[in-house]
Amino acid sequence: MLRIRGGKVYDPKNGVDGVVKDVCISGGNVVTDVDGGRVIDGTGLVVFPGGVDVHTHVAGAALNFARGLIPEQHRNAHPIVRDHIRRAGIVGATPTTFATGYVYAGMGWTTVNEAAVPVLSAKHTHEELRDTPMVDKTCCVLMANNEILLDLIEAGDHERVKHVLAWHVWAAKAYGVKAVNPGGVEAWKFGGDAKKLLEPVPGYKTLTPADIVSGMARACDELRLPHAVHLHCNNLGAPGNVSTTLDTMKALEGHRAHMAHLQYHAYGGDDWLTFRSESAKIAEAFNASPNLTCDAGAVLFGTTVTITADGPWQHLLYQLTGKKWGNLDVENETGCGVVPYVYKEKNIVNAVQWAVGLELLLLIDDPWRVSLTTDHPNGAPFWRYPEILHLLMNADFRKEQIARLPEKARSRIILDQLTREYTLGEVAVISSAGPARALGLEHKGHLGVGADADVAVYHAEKDVTKMFSHPRYVIKGGEVVVEEGELRQVVEGSVTAVKPAYDPEVEEFLRQLFQQYYTMSFDNYPVTPDRVHGLQVNELN
Amino acid sequence: MKNRADLIIYWGGNPAECHPRHFTKYTIMQKGRFIPNGRKGRTMVLVDIRETPSAKAADVFLQVRPGKDFEVLTALRAVVKGQRVDAAAVADTGLSLDQLTDLANRMKACRFGVLFFGMGLSMTRGKHMNSAAALTLAAELNAFTKFVAMPMRGHGNVTGADVIMRYTTAFPFGVNLSRGYPRFNPGEFSTIDLLVRGDNDATLVLGADPGATMPQPAIRHLSQTPTIVLDPKVTHTSRLAKVHITTAATGITAPGTVYRMDEIPLPLKPPLVGPYPTDEDVMRRIREAAERKAHIAA
Ligand SMILES: [Zn+2]
Repeated sequence: MLRIRGGKVYDPKNGVDGVVKDVCISGGNVVTDVDGGRVIDGTGLVVFPGGVDVHTHVAGAALNFARGLIPEQHRNAHPIVRDHIRRAGIVGATPTTFATGYVYAGMGWTTVNEAAVPVLSAKHTHEELRDTPMVDKTCCVLMANNEILLDLIEAGDHERVKHVLAWHVWAAKAYGVKAVNPGGVEAWKFGGDAKKLLEPVPGYKTLTPADIVSGMARACDELRLPHAVHLHCNNLGAPGNVSTTLDTMKALEGHRAHMAHLQYHAYGGDDWLTFRSESAKIAEAFNASPNLTCDAGAVLFGTTVTITADGPWQHLLYQLTGKKWGNLDVENETGCGVVPYVYKEKNIVNAVQWAVGLELLLLIDDPWRVSLTTDHPNGAPFWRYPEILHLLMNADFRKEQIARLPEKARSRIILDQLTREYTLGEVAVISSAGPARALGLEHKGHLGVGADADVAVYHAEKDVTKMFSHPRYVIKGGEVVVEEGELRQVVEGSVTAVKPAYDPEVEEFLRQLFQQYYTMSFDNYPVTPDRVHGLQVNELN
Repeated sequence: MKNRADLIIYWGGNPAECHPRHFTKYTIMQKGRFIPNGRKGRTMVLVDIRETPSAKAADVFLQVRPGKDFEVLTALRAVVKGQRVDAAAVADTGLSLDQLTDLANRMKACRFGVLFFGMGLSMTRGKHMNSAAALTLAAELNAFTKFVAMPMRGHGNVTGADVIMRYTTAFPFGVNLSRGYPRFNPGEFSTIDLLVRGDNDATLVLGADPGATMPQPAIRHLSQTPTIVLDPKVTHTSRLAKVHITTAATGITAPGTVYRMDEIPLPLKPPLVGPYPTDEDVMRRIREAAERKAHIAA
């Protein structure tokens, strides 16, 4: 039993905005009251529900491939020295699994959604998640370039699309469905791309990216998945991609969708020389579409590594930078690329990207529909989130930073015109309550009775970066894991998977196609429940 | 690969003998979605220093002089890019400029090319440089078509070990944890270097047989210091070890996971029951015993 006494509580889901009150915890949940037990003095402290990351890459074959590609970065990264509770590790742009858990919880974040899991290597993703302590986990299975699914969408067999999707979600022990560059990754396997939303995907007669987007969004809605289709739009990172993004919003025809890392999809200009921000257009359309949620995918200046299932974009980046490039194609499902990258303040394209992420966070008027992310590690490592909060909460600080950008970059952005400053309540929304709602995780992101007892307690101070980097206390599942800013205890996290209902007949249908196209036996393909550590099943009917 | 590759190159490897299922299961013999005619729809090139049994399966066999792989790869990169290459310099590698030009043309003209490179390339003179040149060549070919490169690994679950080392320590091998955090320096911390220099006091060998492959000074160090081997069978290393613990054979009498060379994990279901403990079991019991001992000492 535990009582956090007299802290200033921010619990947006329950309409609590900076009210001094007690938070009581028993048996891993928030309760109305406790009699006895430990008391933490919250006087002068700020109490938040634990952070929720709606889109991050913390585990999986692609990320692990990236780890192997950047030994020179690891050598300069912060090491974690083994002690009586912690295992050794390396932080940096792609933290090792145990380090990932320690660092997330160390800044008060207690739930993460791994955004890209190919079914074929889902077993591996779950191996890594098993070794990622301190946080509860969900993941999204990659589907938009699955050849069996694309054939069904082209044939207009919507009923079967639904069953195939449902089967794959459970087979991967995933929570949601991710669509990356719909049709484009498929085309990339022959070196092409799908850039026009309404033109057929190379290799198909009539199937367009728009068909894939709407087909999958509709299926996710009809299956009543708690999280909408998790959508990485076509044309990521390209000048002028604003039109593709707006077309995608239209193609959804009112179905729910979560638009991932929107920053990378809000650019104008005809080429890299005329590259500019189009965040105003994107925010306007987004504000008018209540069916959508998104995450920022913000960029910070500095060294990182970019890694995405968007192979064509990665190849472009390789040509632009001439640096290392690694590419993986995953049989008939998806592929991925990896490029080490430095975002530079003096580089006009990078400066515009930096501004666009912040502009979207400031221009989207409903904080419940935009979550704080950097598409870790693509825009910046997740442990730099507090720096973004600093920029959002302090307009003067923002101005100072804008002044450092090249003149040319400043004429391509609108960030200098935005005076909005985030309140603490709004920060609690974009970092916890909002992403929990977007994911449909009812027990996360709030401090109402029955919620999971994941709590972050901060010391309010002017230096926002410092405040959110070093919480005074973090409580995970009712256990005090961080105290006086130090990790005191390591706890395991759960993995929540969704089991949608599907017609068992779909398994025979898939088995036949599978044995024709894949190199793995069909029975070895699904992740068996015993391989998932701390599995919690959300069964849908 | 199975569905798309119309050009398959094996460089410095002998899959017919070392990876017998590679041809039939993954590459040349398979019919694929976009390769409906199977073997007839694919071209196979073998590059090696001698004519191994794999050459019989090849459409084109290119015999390189030992130690000249890096030069061939570099010349090939230049030919691919249309740069001028000195025919006399090429001749020194055992191949002719015509042969290289023919290979470069095949590489640029294919729809989906794959370059498998084996230990004959990654473990001979030039090592990392050779692998880097092979990977760069494949990366550069993507300016013309779709091309990928992939290493053919040695025996056992080497890939699995590599994968797990990366996500727990950030590095694939050659990791030193003596300071309490991972440090990486191949050539200094790799097993072979530690053993040859005699830096370590004891060795635990799991799923490997260094006594069969390592140089004499390393083997001598293994036999002169406490060496513990976990292995289902008697090996060169177990013969010179102080302790050999017989463990269950993974995949035969013990369950487990192996990683395919492309890092896709496959679960193993044991068909038989055996009397021996698994490697995992033994490691856990050793750790628990060590912890108890540390506890008593404290
Ligand atoms: Zn992402």
